[in-house]
Amino acid sequence: MTRLGMVIDLEKCVGCRACMVACKVENNTPESAFWMYVFRLEDGEYPESRVSFLPRPCQHCDNAPCVKVCPVGARYTRDHGIVVTDWDRCIGCRYCEVACPYGVNYFNYKKPKELQYLNWENPDVEVHSQGEVPPYKNPVLAGKFGPEQRKVAGGGHTKGVMEKCTFCVHRVDSGLDPACVVNCPVGALIFGDLEDPESPASRAIADKPAYRLLEERDTRPKVRYIGAPVSSTAREIERPKVRN
Amino acid sequence: MAASRFLFGPLTTLGAAEESDSGDHTGTVDEWVPTTCWIGKQDCGMLAHRIDGRVVKLEGHPSHPRNMGTLCPKGVGQITALYDPNRVMTPLIRTNGKGVKGEFRAAGWDEALSLVAEKMNAAREDDPRKLIWQKGRSKAKSFYDKAFVNASGATKLHHGAYCSDAGYRACEYTVGPHGVLHPDFRNTDYVLAWGWNITAGGGNKTCWLTWNQQLIEARARGVKVVVVDPRVRAAGAYADKWLPIKPGTDLALALALCNLVIGQDTLDRDYLRKYSNAGYLVQEDGKFLRIDDVEQVWDETTGGPMPHDADGVTPALEGEFTVGDQTVRPGFQVFKEHVAGYTAEWAAETCGLNADDIREVAADLGSKASIGSIRSFDGVDVPHRPVSIMTYHVSQQELGFQQVRAQVMLMMLLGAMGASGGTMVDWTWKVHKNYAGLDDIEITDTPNIYLNKSKFYPINSNNSSIVAQVMNDPEAFGVDYVPEVAILHMVNPLSSFLSEEDLVEAYKKFKFVAVIDPWISRTADMFADVILPAATLEKYEGPPSGTDQYTDAVALRVPIQEPLGQSRGDIQIYLDLCEAAGILFGEGGYLDEVNKALKLSDEYALPLDRKPTEREIFDNWSKDQGIDEGVSFFEREGVLVKGPVSATKRYGYAMDEPFGGAIHRLYGESLQGYQEEMKKLGVSENYWKHYTALPTWQKPIMDTSPAEYDLYLVSYKMIEFKQGRATQSPLLAELAPKQRLDINPETARARGLEDGDAVLVESQNAVTGFTRQLKTVVHITSSIRPDTVAMPHHYGEIARSPVTEGQGPTPNVLFFTGEGYTANTGDQSFHVKVRVEKA
Repeated sequence: MTRLGMVIDLEKCVGCRACMVACKVENNTPESAFWMYVFRLEDGEYPESRVSFLPRPCQHCDNAPCVKVCPVGARYTRDHGIVVTDWDRCIGCRYCEVACPYGVNYFNYKKPKELQYLNWENPDVEVHSQGEVPPYKNPVLAGKFGPEQRKVAGGGHTKGVMEKCTFCVHRVDSGLDPACVVNCPVGALIFGDLEDPESPASRAIADKPAYRLLEERDTRPKVRYIGAPVSSTAREIERPKVRN
Repeated sequence: MAASRFLFGPLTTLGAAEESDSGDHTGTVDEWVPTTCWIGKQDCGMLAHRIDGRVVKLEGHPSHPRNMGTLCPKGVGQITALYDPNRVMTPLIRTNGKGVKGEFRAAGWDEALSLVAEKMNAAREDDPRKLIWQKGRSKAKSFYDKAFVNASGATKLHHGAYCSDAGYRACEYTVGPHGVLHPDFRNTDYVLAWGWNITAGGGNKTCWLTWNQQLIEARARGVKVVVVDPRVRAAGAYADKWLPIKPGTDLALALALCNLVIGQDTLDRDYLRKYSNAGYLVQEDGKFLRIDDVEQVWDETTGGPMPHDADGVTPALEGEFTVGDQTVRPGFQVFKEHVAGYTAEWAAETCGLNADDIREVAADLGSKASIGSIRSFDGVDVPHRPVSIMTYHVSQQELGFQQVRAQVMLMMLLGAMGASGGTMVDWTWKVHKNYAGLDDIEITDTPNIYLNKSKFYPINSNNSSIVAQVMNDPEAFGVDYVPEVAILHMVNPLSSFLSEEDLVEAYKKFKFVAVIDPWISRTADMFADVILPAATLEKYEGPPSGTDQYTDAVALRVPIQEPLGQSRGDIQIYLDLCEAAGILFGEGGYLDEVNKALKLSDEYALPLDRKPTEREIFDNWSKDQGIDEGVSFFEREGVLVKGPVSATKRYGYAMDEPFGGAIHRLYGESLQGYQEEMKKLGVSENYWKHYTALPTWQKPIMDTSPAEYDLYLVSYKMIEFKQGRATQSPLLAELAPKQRLDINPETARARGLEDGDAVLVESQNAVTGFTRQLKTVVHITSSIRPDTVAMPHHYGEIARSPVTEGQGPTPNVLFFTGEGYTANTGDQSFHVKVRVEKA
């Protein structure tokens, strides 16, 4: 059976964060919601200091703690092992956020239209732009997906729901790779069926040691990392705009 | 929806109903339009995803050699440069005084263009030198830098002196091609990443993406990367070794490496003899020995002087000879003696490094250069010297010109310039006209506004901050006029250039300033009389090259929708402006100059009596390129991939005439000549002291600042904003929201500073004693030298937009222009001594 996963090659990642922007534009997520997040890390003291980068999408765990705690079945594991949120069913209890050890959940505290990268409802925008700037529109993201016909794609749909990385379910269902993977300038993100030894993801880890984040939690992520594990003494530098 | 209602009742508090889209999107028009990136420097290929005419995303063009289907954060984020409600939507005319935040009224194009044309023509008629055309990054040099400048007779000012032009001048002068230094990545084994901001912004010739792709392929082959930089942050995971060099001492390290390479005798003598002036005999007065105006070498076969270009001559590189009553030495011998004192220990002390690390670099260079080896490319044999340097913006420092010259000379000793796996300058090994031009400058006593060919800067990179100083005190520089009308095209000097207080004073002197820009830049806000709104991605523009040094390609920027509001494509604006000014038609008019700049053949030349559309011009150009279907090819495909770049174009050695016939100038005779003339004409030592035949270490003037200015400040670029008008983009500002001061933990502790603390940074000019200040916040990082602090080059509230408010200042306000802070080529230094205290 197909199990879609992502391999992240830390020996290639240059920490440019293009994947973060590609994700935001593809999925139209609100400000400060980074479904794909790239940690920029620093370790050691001068002159032995070293810089490294760690991209962190949703880990799409086989044993997903967030799915288990969702009281309404909004968070579920769909075909091919993708963990998604039915934003139409989510009641915003945020149990998933508490249960997840990876910090991948982003709650819509405000009405997303006030958070999106341009505020299409601000009257000033209308005045400044003389009505020339067309509002964002991508009906695909509002659609229903899969045999289950549930609303699981895209972000910024509504206030009071939890959203997170969907592995770009709307693209994957059309046979495309996730937006972050396609855009990575250096090929550090590799996507595919972990059960198929010929998939790009399987081939990437065939002859290299790969590991998962927080293996001891037994969450069994479908995101695998190649390269030196992040040191426990690493410090985060250059944080993007975070929520207040 | 139904299920949630059934189980839990209507969830009105969540407002889910507001978003009730049936998901039925039949009837929508879903399209992909190819175009070319606008926001960055390197013109990557893009595909715009359009739904019902509204662009929803920009993706990389899969066939474009430079980016192969991917984009950097700026590339993806520039959708906010298209749909920015703060863009200028109509022509604007100023209604208040200048030097303060502008008040503007909307105007029609006809009114605005007539006004600009009238002022422009008045200046041209009075004295053509009074018209200035100033640009930022030019996206269509043929149409702007060449055709408009030639048709209008304006004096062109540009940004190179703030970029890497000291390096350009050093390479043009020393070896010929136009650029700084980059590796032949596919074949190199060793990269000295010298001030190369590897993961955070650019490198020679391209702004970012291509080099990282090529570096990663090279890493897979095992290439070694040695980082020479006061900061290691940008090297990311790619530093096999970090040499944390003290700012401003790069020349010292390069000279010591030359000395070590000579000492270990890892020299490509064959190259030095054949293709450089290392064998030219130098008299005691520093001039070449010439007989009948021809430079002489000492022929080892005949044991006497011979013309350097005589058949079968074998020039001696070492020794001392007597010719007539002259004692002469080959240029190489002079160089060898010149660098003998630059030992590893001396450089370690000067540069704040370990002598063993420096020796290791020299030993690696010597062994990996594999001198004598050959690699074959499609049957073409090319000397294989797989050692290389990537160096770029680091050239912008007081000693920058000679620093890059010394780096080039280091590679010359190893035979690695233009070799397989070696060090490249331009995409192909084309010799620039400056190779001859910079060797033969006639110093003028009536220089123009940027002091071109003047006694101050005989070699001159055209620095707008110097222009400001000259405008503020023309007599001090022997200039007898002040420009009155300026056309600013996509340039924002107050934020991007240096010495803001000089610039502000100078811009007050312009009687009229017209701005062509999509935004109200800070400069436009304070000084524009008229703003002509330019489109961003909604226009025809180019043609940009698409080469990645291995595959040649050409592309076009194709409009991905109609221009927003009343904005127009820049080329359209020049057509309209030239028409209004009466310089569009006829010989010497704009259309004639476009024909020349695009090198259009007679068959496809634009008629000189009819105004074409932008599309028509590119249609003619496309057909002239042999693309029968014309511009529609680019509208459909975006990029024309022409195929592999041949070894005979890429490698200087492999050209039909090796290195294009340019003899590489190890010994810079004319530089010494300029020094002598400058002394005669009477300028202070700070101007002439770096004009020496051989790069010579001299302590940077900034080091004479008082001891309380105990830290070096350098600036650097960030991948989020590099080489683009970008901090007003909400998507990019979200990634990097605020200005900061990078400081080593030890340095911060000594000042009682913690991460996020507000600090006052004060710079000091060691020559004038002036100080400048700014406030920012501390960002503690151990990837920087303890005696150095650093700030991103960006920010400074670059345009009128709510996004830029509160982002913090640009460090450009702290740097100085002039003696000690400008290279001998007029290039700007981004180095200064500062003190930092808690605010």
